[in-house]
Amino acid sequence: MNVVELVEVTKVYELPRGSIKALDNVTASIESGEFISIMGPSGSGKTTLLNIIGCLDTPTSGRVAIGGENINGLGDDQLTKIRRDKIGFVFQQFNLIPTLTALENIEYPVILKGLNGHEKKGKELLRSVGIDEKLGENKPNELSGGEQQRIAIARALANDPDIILADEPTGNLDSKTSKDILQLLKVTNGRGKTIIVVTHDPQVASYTKRTFRLVDGRVEDEVGK
Amino acid sequence: MIFFEFAKRNLARHKFRSVLAVIGIVIGVLAITALGILGNSVRLSASEQLCMIGNELVVFPYGEEAISEDNFEKIEKVANAIPVESNVDKVVLNGESELVMIYGMRSEDIPKLLEKEEGQFLKHGSLNCLVGSRLADEYELRVGERATIKSQKPRIVGILKERGIGFDINPDNAIIVSDKMFSSLYNSSGYNSVIVKVDRIEDVEEARKEIEDRLNKKEEVVMVMELKMIVEGIKSLFNTISIFLLGIGAISLVVAGVSILNVMMMSTVERTKEIGVMRAIGTSRSGILRMFLFESLILGTIGGVIGAILGFGVGFLVDVLMLKEASYLFAPSSILYIFLGIAFGIGTSVISGLYPAWKASRLKPIEALRYE
Repeated sequence: MNVVELVEVTKVYELPRGSIKALDNVTASIESGEFISIMGPSGSGKTTLLNIIGCLDTPTSGRVAIGGENINGLGDDQLTKIRRDKIGFVFQQFNLIPTLTALENIEYPVILKGLNGHEKKGKELLRSVGIDEKLGENKPNELSGGEQQRIAIARALANDPDIILADEPTGNLDSKTSKDILQLLKVTNGRGKTIIVVTHDPQVASYTKRTFRLVDGRVEDEVGK
Repeated sequence: MIFFEFAKRNLARHKFRSVLAVIGIVIGVLAITALGILGNSVRLSASEQLCMIGNELVVFPYGEEAISEDNFEKIEKVANAIPVESNVDKVVLNGESELVMIYGMRSEDIPKLLEKEEGQFLKHGSLNCLVGSRLADEYELRVGERATIKSQKPRIVGILKERGIGFDINPDNAIIVSDKMFSSLYNSSGYNSVIVKVDRIEDVEEARKEIEDRLNKKEEVVMVMELKMIVEGIKSLFNTISIFLLGIGAISLVVAGVSILNVMMMSTVERTKEIGVMRAIGTSRSGILRMFLFESLILGTIGGVIGAILGFGVGFLVDVLMLKEASYLFAPSSILYIFLGIAFGIGTSVISGLYPAWKASRLKPIEALRYE
């Protein structure tokens, strides 16, 4: 099954100086369980593509389906629900919620969804990303970058999403920690999760099985392994 | 409720700032509550001290010394009329000499106007007297004792109930004697005033006109005073004072509202990125809206409750120190200001929080995420 389907997706930004085509007629599909990287120089449209797949933005034209659901024409509330239930985000700057403890950060998406047993699920995930339960009581600013990113990955997994979207997940980490995080993503992929990583680091891309190379808003090159 | 929890923690994150915002609301609610209670207490105390009888007219002589018997009869044709003679004279009470107001009234009229505390009213043509409550208190007068007026020594047969300051007669500090007794004391040439009672308060205006028409034909000989007008004038004066005091309170609340607006706006800007993250991982617009509204609700509730408690305390102090009476504080109309204060405090906070909350909920997730 294809978890992501992009058909002739174009995104145009209207700016005072004229319009900019951030994505130009992109057609691609991603199957469930894939581990994919999106590479390209800055301004090539990587982030725009990620935002559209992540339902944070909608295309100017073209069709987008996430987890089999067509997102064209959906309103803010519906897109929010898709983000909550089908997508897990991992950010470069971790972006944990500072007022919540590490464990609460993981539980938050489950609570948002209104499900019970969030504490049990949170602790399970905490363990699965290799963080001690005691550390879970700490606020994000009391944790190291690597620990925060592990928590962020656990949070992304909390609602059992179809896709994990990671935007430069190792961009703020040293090389050793980066390897650990990539290893964790790989393990997560091994458990059946679809993962899409945006990066400009070939090292990161080397962990993935397939790479989209974006140039000027077009997918220039698809490299499979 | 997860968003309530967020609101609490976000407020705790900037304790000093939250405390300042709460202080603003406290001051506003304190002002409304304290000033409201004060205005209300003054009104209550005034209406307790004033004898406000709306269905009375008082006729005074105008340009002449007294109202003649002829003119009194004309007045009596319009409505029930009570003639009153009065004089200030030296009276000896319990051995002490004092200048006291002495009223002379027909015995049958006295129960129509006054109530007695103890003893009995005067019989027709009685040579005894009644004393007002304050006078009785001051000189420790009892029924059965005698007062000395000139050469007469009337026995006190009754003590009147406290009536308050009236516009017709003021019996609290006075002695009441019968018309017969009065004329034996003084050479009266007529009545010092005539009190007219109409059955219905709506008829006051008409009775007044008729009396004026009948008496002031060639020239003005009487002046008619409507108690209704005075009563209403005083009531509207106190309403104006209350509104003025509440206005002062309201201004301080508006200032507090602006400070909450300011705090919340700062907070939305500071937390833009965080809002972006929350939105990205699936928080709905209404969730963000609720989170911010809860924050202003918490500020308003804490400020409102503290302000109302302090306002009640200040109201108590003012009542005790200025009015020397704390009972007005517990009157339902005073207690109302406590709830009014809290309601205004919460209302102001929530209204001030509406715009920032709405603004935060409308942030576009991608733009908010990019915010540094």
